[in-house]
Amino acid sequence: MSQFAAWLSLTRWSLAIKVHEWVIPAVQSVHIVAIGVVLASAFMIDLRILGWAGRDQTLSETTARFSPWLTGALVILLVTGVIMVLGEPPRELLAFSFWSKMCLVAIGTVAAVAFQVSLRRHALQWETSLVHHWGIKSLAILTFLIWVCVVVLGRLIAYDHLWGSWSMSPKA
Amino acid sequence: MVDVAEGLVDINSILAALEATSLAERLRESLYLFPLIESAHVVGLTMVFGTIAIIDLRLLGIASARRPFTSVATDTLKWTWLAFALTAITGFLMFMTNARVYFHNIYFDLKMGAIALSGVNMMVFELTTRRSVNRWDGSAAPPAGRTAAALSLALWISVIFLGRWVGFTTTHATPTVEPDVDIEQLLPK
Repeated sequence: MSQFAAWLSLTRWSLAIKVHEWVIPAVQSVHIVAIGVVLASAFMIDLRILGWAGRDQTLSETTARFSPWLTGALVILLVTGVIMVLGEPPRELLAFSFWSKMCLVAIGTVAAVAFQVSLRRHALQWETSLVHHWGIKSLAILTFLIWVCVVVLGRLIAYDHLWGSWSMSPKA
Repeated sequence: MVDVAEGLVDINSILAALEATSLAERLRESLYLFPLIESAHVVGLTMVFGTIAIIDLRLLGIASARRPFTSVATDTLKWTWLAFALTAITGFLMFMTNARVYFHNIYFDLKMGAIALSGVNMMVFELTTRRSVNRWDGSAAPPAGRTAAALSLALWISVIFLGRWVGFTTTHATPTVEPDVDIEQLLPK
């Protein structure tokens, strides 16, 4: 992986990002704006499942309002994330925080897609019984916590030495 | 500090005292505390921005356009304040570790200015447009409400950008764990 990161560092695209010092902070800022959209969208859907918000609307209405924003912001996160990896390959690809973050992103995305597909197929069941099920409510809390952990691990990429020998970074 | 205005010397001694507190010292010495506080800051600020954006997009008629404004606001605003409290507390803790460096950082000052402006913008909205909410609750917000929403989005996005620039101009130039930064070099000559 460190050889791959070293090779990636010398590609045209990586060098192009590096020579413009403003690119990384600007892309990080866009990344953070998109995180805000993902986190708040997931939060509102989860609150609706918990019955703490949007009770004047059906679960389908709440999901229809927030899921396009969640999906759109995830795409922006992917694009800005790729730019950040290209800009600083070793910092990202050798970080334990980065890979554990990617695992949680995968779990969070699968959970979001599974929820939306299931809601579309079994809308009535979701509105009448599933939304009151304690297991579903626990999953709502869990998925929000997964996104919170994604944010925390994302910030901890900058401090990967904290993981000690778990980090592949030479600085650790 | 000889050729610095009198008022600035006072604020610098206050900031130095803040840096010298045992809490600030613990934050600087700990390997884990600063990164964890910074992570909580990011969680808080993304929630502040995300929940405010929900309200702004309603006012602009872009999302939740047909839902009563008051329903959208009651669902989100309490969480905005909770997240703002988390962000402000963690922000202050980070500020303490290197108060003089942050205070004299132009991006930090601009960021605080943008937060203050969005506070003013919110107060103006609450005291004017919001007062007549009964007339437009279920429909499009009046132009003043739309303007406030556009301003709010622009200001909070600026706050996020400025915050990242604070990080890049302070952490990278002078590590936050470095306690003895020479403040003389940072002041304008």
